[in-house]
Amino acid sequence: MIAVPMLLGAMSIVFFAMRILPGDPCVAMMGDQATTEALADCTKNLGLHRPLAVQYVDYIWRSVQFDFGHSLRQGYPVSEYIARMFPHTLVLVLSSAVVAALIGIPIGIISALKRRSPLIDYPLRIIALLGLSMPVFWLGILLLIVFSLRLDIFPLIGGGDLDGVIQMIRTGEVFVYPRDFLAAVGDVLYHLTLPALALGFTLAATVSRLSRSAMLEVISQDYIRTARAKGQGERTVVYKHAFRNMMVPLLTIIGLFVAVALTGTVLTETVFTRPGLGKMLVDAIGARDYPLAQGAITVFTMIIIVVNLIVDMLYAVVDPRITYR
Amino acid sequence: MPSSARSRFSLRSMIALAAALAFGLVALVEPPAALAQKKVLNIAAKEPDSLDPHTSILGQTQAIKRFMYRGLTRFAIKDGKVTTAEVQPDLAESWTLSPDGTVWTFKLKKGVQFHKGFGELTAEDVKFSFERQIKRAPGTRFGVNLEVIKSIEVVDPHTVQIVLKSFDAIFLLRMVGYQQGYIISKKAVEKFGEQYKWNPVGTGPFYFDRHSPREKIVMKAFDKYHAGRPQIDEINWFDVPEDATKLIGLEKGTFDLLYPEAVTADFAGQVEKMGAIIDRRGPGQQERFYINMTKAPFDDIRVRRAFMHAIDRKAIKETMYPGGLGKLAISCVPPGYFGHIPMTFPEYDPEKAKKLLAEAGHPNGFTIKNYFISKSFFYPKVLTLAQEQLKKVGINVELQVVEHATFHENIRKNLNPFVLYGGTRITDADPWLSLFFDSKEIPDPATGNKGTNFAHYRAIDDLLAKGRLERDVKKRAAIYAEAQKRMEKDLVCLPITDVAGQWARNPKRVSTPFDPDYGEFSLHYSYNYPEMLKVLN
Repeated sequence: MIAVPMLLGAMSIVFFAMRILPGDPCVAMMGDQATTEALADCTKNLGLHRPLAVQYVDYIWRSVQFDFGHSLRQGYPVSEYIARMFPHTLVLVLSSAVVAALIGIPIGIISALKRRSPLIDYPLRIIALLGLSMPVFWLGILLLIVFSLRLDIFPLIGGGDLDGVIQMIRTGEVFVYPRDFLAAVGDVLYHLTLPALALGFTLAATVSRLSRSAMLEVISQDYIRTARAKGQGERTVVYKHAFRNMMVPLLTIIGLFVAVALTGTVLTETVFTRPGLGKMLVDAIGARDYPLAQGAITVFTMIIIVVNLIVDMLYAVVDPRITYR
Repeated sequence: MPSSARSRFSLRSMIALAAALAFGLVALVEPPAALAQKKVLNIAAKEPDSLDPHTSILGQTQAIKRFMYRGLTRFAIKDGKVTTAEVQPDLAESWTLSPDGTVWTFKLKKGVQFHKGFGELTAEDVKFSFERQIKRAPGTRFGVNLEVIKSIEVVDPHTVQIVLKSFDAIFLLRMVGYQQGYIISKKAVEKFGEQYKWNPVGTGPFYFDRHSPREKIVMKAFDKYHAGRPQIDEINWFDVPEDATKLIGLEKGTFDLLYPEAVTADFAGQVEKMGAIIDRRGPGQQERFYINMTKAPFDDIRVRRAFMHAIDRKAIKETMYPGGLGKLAISCVPPGYFGHIPMTFPEYDPEKAKKLLAEAGHPNGFTIKNYFISKSFFYPKVLTLAQEQLKKVGINVELQVVEHATFHENIRKNLNPFVLYGGTRITDADPWLSLFFDSKEIPDPATGNKGTNFAHYRAIDDLLAKGRLERDVKKRAAIYAEAQKRMEKDLVCLPITDVAGQWARNPKRVSTPFDPDYGEFSLHYSYNYPEMLKVLN
């Protein structure tokens, strides 16, 4: 239930922050040459002449009904627009999370176990540091130059036919034309590879550092010493005892991590020219497209709340001591 | 141990599965073979905000409109060049003007078709296209350019009569397929209503096929285009916000044409390195100084002359737009505007400037406090360069960098004794000079006048009035030549750079009949005749 006031709070902050920002949507749209009358006309057409309180109540009331209005700039219904962008961002976040976990967690564990080993721990930590200090747009352009321009094995732009994939699932065509469906999924993954690698690698750095410290904390616990004292093999100690206990702090991090990954999508989507929520949000704020920005941020907030809810529930799975009543 | 074996197995198999999936699926994707025969043009630009031609001033929106819409007249093609100072018939076949100069009768070409089966172009569509703007239909913003119109009558399906409030020398320029001049389908607007902006129906060489938001807009060749089907079959207009990505795409062959955010020396260098071309189009934007001749100490012409001697225009131009990226401006009416003549300005000479300042009673120069400058676009860069140069002769300018909107507000309150300004207007000396040098446009906070005569100039009012009534082309040109000579004498305006509209093009993929170097003039910084572009392989 705490989610409701959180969402309401976030929506209110966005609403007022957008209006405190200097700059007017009409001026942004009409430029220098607009006359005073034209600007007044525009403000009236967009409903921005109403008192702020009226606009606010109207906005909250409509949002509750999932009506975010129309984009001021392009005129599309915001909910339709977001529904179209959302899957692209979702697959990017999920796939880069997988990449980050596949790279980050093993590196973290290994470097924790071989702590202070100049041949293993130090190089791995340097890689992690590199990932941390490498901005995603820089890595993205590097990947594009190498794999798209020079080697020509990956595409430069676009997100693949994700709309088509979703359409096939919806209409049940997936069972009728499984080959076409696989090809479409393949195309989406093909377009996803470089962006997921770029975003995933920069996120992996954080994951590896956090899992290293989580692992370090776990292996210094008494029960690990007990396990070793019982004469259990190192593998069992690590996989059975340490790894599962390490998952509890790591899960918390994954919850936070979604917020970081969503922020990362802004730059990733820009560099790889993919459709998506992140890029849309930045443009909407730049153009002072209030309904679109508000809608996008509401969706972002909802994602973060939902993910953290799932994480909370997963605690019970990885740690039997935690139960929910 | 069973548990450790299981975890090892699952971890390994997961990695193997992921790798197999990735490679297997990549292999499944084959390059589309069918596209090989089709002539497809790939453009990297930003996404337009609307495809209703009467709505937006965004660069990318204005550029894409020209692919889909046409007007009654068009910029003339003369000696293999496109000029913005003269017009030819386009959707109109011919026109006549009544003896008193207020009634234009346009005969429309017969058989001009709208896209998507919306039927033949008629006088009703022309009347509708202009009236919706004059009535300020929501979202439209060029109605101000049609305020000279008193009424529009449909004489017959192919004849339309437009009655003006008074003679307007540039009326045919207003009818050019650009902003207010585009003709749209009345039936389509009635059918789609608010949704028209993404269901555009025009008479241009390409019709709108589909829009994938944040991805691309697809246009296709219009078989029934009145001047003949274009050679290009399909156009993909990609939404690519990053110039770096655009350049990689040009080199890789993903894109054939780029609409860059900004052409820097670095951008131009990379384009050249990969063997691509930059198409430069005038008149572009002119960056210039206006000097307020009523504000001390600039009310003394010697101080204005000193100011001009102090500014090294070439240095500013070369720092901002090295080489061919810009042209040193030669007149207060830019080339490409009807009536333009070259002017001369006091040459760069700091010693002369100091001498003149001393003569005018400022042997130690003077200080301008609270000089406001916008923090956006070219403004802060050009002004800091000028500030350094002025300092050398003893004119100290204390800058206050402000938001762009505040800057516009403050210059209209006459807070700056000289004003840096940029822009493009309808390409004729009359609207240009009327906006910037007619005494009616002197900004005045007391009366609320927000005009743009920042020089507070009054000496060409008589010429402007005369020019508006003059119907003889040669005599009009002579009137504006005289106006420029007066301005040259009175030292009220110092133009710095004419910056072209620039696109990058892969010449191995796309050809244009016009010279890349100013062979085509256009008002929207983009191709005036996209139907003449050809895909080469």
